[in-house]
Parts: sequence; structure tokens; C-alpha cells
Amino acid sequence: MQVTSNAGQLVTQVLAGEVWPPLGDRHGFRVDPDGHAFLLPGMGGVTLGAHCGDPATGYAADHLEPGLSVRHRDPAANYALQYLTCVGNTVVVTTGPAAGSEGFVIGQHAYVLVDMPEETLRSVTAGDQVTVFAVGQGLALLEHPAIKVKNCSPRTLAALAGGTAPDGRLRVHVAARVPAEAIGAGAGMASEYANTDLMGAYEVGGEELSLGLHSLRIGDVVALADTDHRYGRGYREGWLSIGVISTGSGRLFGHGPGPSTIMSGPADAFTIIDDPGANLAVLAAVLPQKEHA
Amino acid sequence: MTIDVTPPGLGIDATPAGLTSEATSAALRLVAVNLAATVEQASVGSDPYRIDADGAPYVPVGDGGIVLGVRLGDGVWQHPADHAAPGACLVHPDPAAGYALAAQACVGNLVTVRTGAAAGRTGVVVGKRGEGGRVIATFPQDTLRLLRPGDQLAVRGRGTGAGDPVPGVAIRNIDPALLALLPVTAGSEALDVGVRAQLPSKLVGNGIGRPTPMWDLDLQLTPGTARRYDAAGLRLGDLVAITDLDARFNAGYRRGWVTIGLVVHGGSPQPGHGPGVVALLIGPAGLLRASADPAGHQGLSEEAALDAVRDLQ
Repeated sequence: MQVTSNAGQLVTQVLAGEVWPPLGDRHGFRVDPDGHAFLLPGMGGVTLGAHCGDPATGYAADHLEPGLSVRHRDPAANYALQYLTCVGNTVVVTTGPAAGSEGFVIGQHAYVLVDMPEETLRSVTAGDQVTVFAVGQGLALLEHPAIKVKNCSPRTLAALAGGTAPDGRLRVHVAARVPAEAIGAGAGMASEYANTDLMGAYEVGGEELSLGLHSLRIGDVVALADTDHRYGRGYREGWLSIGVISTGSGRLFGHGPGPSTIMSGPADAFTIIDDPGANLAVLAAVLPQKEHA
Repeated sequence: MTIDVTPPGLGIDATPAGLTSEATSAALRLVAVNLAATVEQASVGSDPYRIDADGAPYVPVGDGGIVLGVRLGDGVWQHPADHAAPGACLVHPDPAAGYALAAQACVGNLVTVRTGAAAGRTGVVVGKRGEGGRVIATFPQDTLRLLRPGDQLAVRGRGTGAGDPVPGVAIRNIDPALLALLPVTAGSEALDVGVRAQLPSKLVGNGIGRPTPMWDLDLQLTPGTARRYDAAGLRLGDLVAITDLDARFNAGYRRGWVTIGLVVHGGSPQPGHGPGVVALLIGPAGLLRASADPAGHQGLSEEAALDAVRDLQ
């Protein structure tokens, strides 16, 4: 993105995390939109086969978290990990057979979510330790004071298309525009934690559930209409938030593929450009060459 | 077949006109359960401030515990407070028992104080709050003044499991007997309900995607934005209709459906939060017909709610 920022002044914190196992309860099942029980994988641990650029929906999964799902055992240290980690941050596996392998953060979902090449993911499992190079909170766009940037690393900002337009607005390329009706679980929560589930992209149920979001892909940059995510996730007419799709298929009603917020401001501070190529997959290109061998 | 709408011992005619029609396939007898509950102490974190939608810090007042001076019928923005509920919030120290308390307590249930200065006095469940397994109980103000956090109570849980009041319309979170006190009229095929306002589902913030038996739905409204929806006069105890929302299980978007709920707590400065609604009736808009009366709507009053449990003691 062609935009001036304070990226050169940001500090990086080195944070420890652990690949966290999927969690269940003794009853197993949850409830889909029509009241039917389901038991599906997707949340926590290491999830193979879904990467930036791949479809976000169409899986037999619930709360699909691509790649690694990372937490810290200490609650306060975990909040620091979740709040300070930003989309695009570098993550290095530090224990286990994949030690030394690198990936990048695609968002938060009460876990830090890390995309890595499929061949690397195959050798990571729950309990493996990772190091996160957290940088991005505090990032500011010097010519766009009305726009609050959050959860966005300088690397992500640089990799996105668009930038400051001659009319002073910020051009942002998005793969999809999301109506306010689609905002599901995550509303009312801090926008530095977890993400915003989008409704209306279920694998089950009738047409009356659809909000036209079935073509979303993991890593897509999206615009959320009528949302103000500067100080939490709320509805506000005439405002806009930009997010990147960090989670996929959701079977639980009121949930679904979700964006992690990276920007929020008055709608008239942005010019939104529809661009099917607006996806975090561009970051995979900057991974070390050895990871693509 | 008839619906079981009259709890044993309820001295009033609790059956709304028409609700005894051949209306449901689920005329199973409801059971009542005595649930243990504790009066909550309001709690905050180590930082006194929360952040409002514009980024300004504020100290939350009235968010949980015992709140004096907030009553059914008050405007939802009448008090400078955060999520203030009319009465006291009831909890259980064990989280799983707290979820059961929230899931099995219903609007209209009898609450009896068992310990402390108010022992022996009674109140009534008028709602629930999200996430932590909290039940909202209203008491006469002179009883509320005697309550202290930690006091023990019993909640006579009854209503969860009630059959459809008309086929295709689900009932949640309320003792069916209480429908008699609300502007609810059952025909042979549809339920007509008077509400203060009809609101679009996009206004639902916290609570969307959550299980409605133990979580209320916050309306993302302020006194300023409420005017656009003819909802500036919203009061605690009002019924509201939320369009395109199915709150039978989790709450989520479903085109053509409507959820009607009871306003159980006041507004909030927090983004994504606001006046809270407990889902009561859910169905397709053709079967569950809401009509809004922004000025004249009469919802659940404190007097009617307390009267309803008087004979259950």
C-alpha cells in the first residue's frame, strides 16, 4: 500500500506461544442453524489443507482455523500474545520436528492463527512451542488520522494494494463487501481479540440463511459496512472496517468465516476498490524460499 | 390438546385468550425446580475504566449486583449507567450451576430470599444477562434495600421446555403463564404481539451467535440512533420485535423470521452493547405477527410481575 506511516518507529516484542490442542466437552455435540447436532473438527491444534487463497467455506468443519492455533498457558501472558500479535507477523516453530520453520500470522480467533506451507504443517502438533515476532500495534497512517489501524503489521500494510489517493482518501482493495446483517458472534468484543464471525455462509440450511458470502477465501481482504471497530466491535452507520478472513467454515448458528480487523474509520475516509486478488496470499511470497521447496 | 399454561397454585387466570386452542403437539407437563442462587456483587477489573464507542474512558456504574432505583417502566437511557438492570443479579458460585440457573430460570418465576435481612421476602425473575450465567430479579424497592451481595435465594425455575404457543412459534425464557400479562393474542394459526418497536437484526450486538437460554441480546442503539427506528421511548419491560432473527437456539440471521423479546437491562456506552433483550417468542413472520406502538405500548410492569408470583409462595 502506497501510504506514509510510522512503521519505522514501531518496536517488536518477542512472544512465546504454544500450539494449543482442540478442546471438547463431555457432551461433544453442538447445534446447527436448524437445531441439528454436529461434531466437527476445525478449531484448535493444527489444521491442514486450508491456506490463504483457498476457499473459506465448503469444509466439513466448524470454526475452521487454518494452520496453527496458538495460545500461552498463563492468562495474562496469553492476553498479551493475543492483543499484540498482528496480521503478517513472523512466527517460528521452536520445538519438535518442524523447529526452525517459519510461518505468518493471518489473524486472531482467541488463538493466534498461523499459516505455514502444508509440508511444514504436517510435522507440527499440539504442544509444540512457537516464537511470535509481534509488531504492528501503534501503527498509524500519517495522512489518514481518521482511520485507526490495528492488528496490522508493517509487512501486511506494505503488501496490500492501494494507498493514498489524490483526493486524500485511502484506497483499499477488497475481495468482498460484507453487509451489516452478516455480523455475527464477536460483536461487542474487543477488536484486538478473536474475530468477527460472519453469518450467511453456512454449509447447511436453506436460502433464507444466505447472505451471499459463500465465495469468501481464507486471507481475503473484506470491507464491513456500518461497523466501527476502533474501540471494540460495534454497529455504526456510515463507518467502515477492513478485515482479513482468518477463519473458515462455521456450523454453529450465528457463526461463520470471520475477518480479523486491520482498519476502521468513517466510510468517507476510504475508497473501496473491488479486487478478487485482495488476499493475504501475497505474504506467502515473502516466506523463506526453503519453505516452498 | 391444550397447552399447560397454568402452574399449580397460580391463583389468577393465567391463560391468555386463545392460548388454550388446539395449538401444540407438545402438551407435556412442565416441571418446576428449586434453584439455589446468590445475590451478585458488582465487579470490575484492576483498571476502573471501560472505553466507550468514541474511545473515551468511563467508570461502569450499575453493571450487575444490586441496583437501587432502576425499575421496570424506566427508560433504557434514563439512568447514567452501564447495563443497569431493574433489581438484583443472581448468580451461583459454581460456573456450571450458574449456567443451569440461567437456563432454567424463566421470566415470571418466584424468587424467595432465604438468608440476610430480607429473608422470607419475595421477588420475581424478569430476565437474564449474558455469558456469566446471571438472572435478573425484581423486588419491591423496600426489599431491595435490605438485600446484600452474598445473600442466598431460591428461584422456582419453571418454563424451560414449554411447547409452542401456536404451531411453528417457539417460546423461550418465560413461564408461559406470564404471556397473560403481556400483549400477546393467539389465534388458531398465528400469534399477534404488541411491541414498542420493530428493529432490524443488524442492530443486535453482544449475544448474536450465543445460546439464548443463557444470554441476552444487546441492541446497538443510543438515544440518538433510536429515533430512526421509533425506539427513542424504549423502556425496561417493553417487548420489541427483531426482524430476520432466529433465536430458538443460538441467535442468528434468518430472513423472514422474527424474534420477540423483553427489554431487561438499560443502555451501555460500550461499542456493540446496549439495552438487553431476552428472547421470548420466535417464529416465521407469518406466524408471529408484531405490531409496534411506539407511544402506547404497555409491556411487563413491576406490579404485574410481582402480583403473578404472589400466590406461588
